[in-house]
Amino acid sequence: MRAGFLAGVLLFAAGYSYVAFAELAYLSSAGRLGPGFFPRLIGASLVVLCAYSLALELRRREPERLSSFWRAAAAVAALSAAFVAALEVLGGLLSMIAFMAAALAYLNRGRPVQNALLALALPAALYLLFRVWLNAALPRGMLGLPF
Amino acid sequence: MDLFANLLLGLSVAVSPANLAYLLVGVLVGMIVGIIPGFGPSAALAVLLPITFGMDPTSAVIMLAAIYYGSQYGGTITSILLNTPGESSSVAATFDGYPLAQQGRAGPALVMQAIASFVGGTLGVILITVLAPAFAQLARRFGPPEFFLLVVMGLATLIVMIAGNWRYGVISALLGFALGTVGVDLETGQSRFTFGSAELIGGIDFIPIAIGLFGLGEFYYAFYAGLHVSGSGGIVQYQNEKRFWPEARDFAETRVTFARSSLLGFVIGVIPGAGATVASLMSYSVEKSASRTPEKFGKGAMAGLVGPEAANNAASSGAMVPLLTLGIPGSAATAVLLAAFVLWGLTPGPLLMVQKPEFAWGLIASMYLGNVALLALNVFAIPLFVQMIKLPYRLLAPAVIVVCTIGTYSVGGSIIETWLMFAAGIVGFFMKLYGFSPAALVLALVLGPLAEQSLRQSLTIGHGSPMIFLERTTSLWIIGVTIAALALGIWVRRAQKSE
Repeated sequence: MRAGFLAGVLLFAAGYSYVAFAELAYLSSAGRLGPGFFPRLIGASLVVLCAYSLALELRRREPERLSSFWRAAAAVAALSAAFVAALEVLGGLLSMIAFMAAALAYLNRGRPVQNALLALALPAALYLLFRVWLNAALPRGMLGLPF
Repeated sequence: MDLFANLLLGLSVAVSPANLAYLLVGVLVGMIVGIIPGFGPSAALAVLLPITFGMDPTSAVIMLAAIYYGSQYGGTITSILLNTPGESSSVAATFDGYPLAQQGRAGPALVMQAIASFVGGTLGVILITVLAPAFAQLARRFGPPEFFLLVVMGLATLIVMIAGNWRYGVISALLGFALGTVGVDLETGQSRFTFGSAELIGGIDFIPIAIGLFGLGEFYYAFYAGLHVSGSGGIVQYQNEKRFWPEARDFAETRVTFARSSLLGFVIGVIPGAGATVASLMSYSVEKSASRTPEKFGKGAMAGLVGPEAANNAASSGAMVPLLTLGIPGSAATAVLLAAFVLWGLTPGPLLMVQKPEFAWGLIASMYLGNVALLALNVFAIPLFVQMIKLPYRLLAPAVIVVCTIGTYSVGGSIIETWLMFAAGIVGFFMKLYGFSPAALVLALVLGPLAEQSLRQSLTIGHGSPMIFLERTTSLWIIGVTIAALALGIWVRRAQKSE
């Protein structure tokens, strides 16, 4: 997994460097250091360091042990992604309630009353804080509900 | 005379009812943030930034700064009662704080840590009051080479002292620089890495990245580490102890420690990149070396608790000096504070104290009051914070994720930025898991434009020659301090390993 992460960063670095070298000029039209100077420096350094680190990692060949709690972390991350996706569909308030209800049902099992109260109280408080008090933007969603 | 006039001006700003109320909210939130393991001041500041949008800029920065230094106080309560530091800067407090609690001296340990934090924090603010104007005066002589070297110093020190692996630390910083180049090049007006997207022309906003890395990423990692099932079962029940207050011998043993560690902490805090964690660990080593009874360290020595606590609070005050006078943050948390300054049109740097004295001195004066409030909270509201420790992670985490997500959306009303925050959360989880440095990434992202601009200007001034960095006296001084800071970092890491 560590090698996979490093490979991902290397891929990003390679793409970044490609754009820096292929599309951005090293010198500006006035003969000064141009928009490509700094990105080329950063990109080339990233590629070299990532490639070196990846080579060291691949040579190590030590098996990586996953934590026994990885499923909990993955489930919470998946729920967070679903929450962000739901914002555009259900709007701010309903998405918050749905996420809290789902996350608490998974994490805080066997306490339906406590979960229901929390799933309603926190989103309501945040809605009042952001939308009513601060007049900040909250997603309306596709349903077009007034909250 | 100027000093007192400025301080009086600052006090007149800080004691307005609104600013006092925001200060109290800030210190209380800071304490709570400090208590929650895995949720640091950087995440809290980033998450709460949107909430301050409707406020007066001075009130907002007073509150955010109070959260920042208040978190240094809170982190130690869990170190003493649970052997779990709330913040990385409270790790050293577990070495002797928890053994003291196990010996039935949790009450005296909690009170002494509060006094040490107060002394360190207040001495730090006194030193800011005296030294910040002199620093600002000095900084007016800085040109592009000095600013570039300061950025390099901050990042290099941070990587050497904090990152688990220096190569991964450098990669993290380079990633931050790379993200910082997205958007319009300020010198030529050319778009870079925008791929035709209008949303990217203004660059990658720092707030979603900071909230994702420090908020979501830390929580995902906490779940991976099983923090949601570990609970607070091992908490020491200090209420059953015979004595709550410290004895005269506790003060006698530590009277030099207070001053020595505060001064040490402040000096380390001023160095960009060093920070409170390094200050506390270094103070522990120094106190152990200076003690007549070093064998007691690790077994419940009061100096082993007082030293790191005074040092980390003085360091958090010291870190405000480069932030206010140079506009250079030394840590992820001060980087978020810098973002807050910029958001309200305040430009930290040598001229801040001249152009916005009511803001700069109002903030400094508020730190005196904040430390008094924190001392009172730490001594008299301990039962409240002990209840907070018992708040289970499984209830806390969904609430924080909701605040992170809604907070990010409310900043720019952009769903793309909300997705960016989620992506940063995933990246932050892997960075934490594999020993990369999210703090270096965020710091480089914030300082990237300054680094690029000052490097290009320096090389233009030097006609393309990098020798420009070695030809100026102030540059040579900064290089000298950087080398000393790096040597110090290596020494601290070796001392840490041998502990």
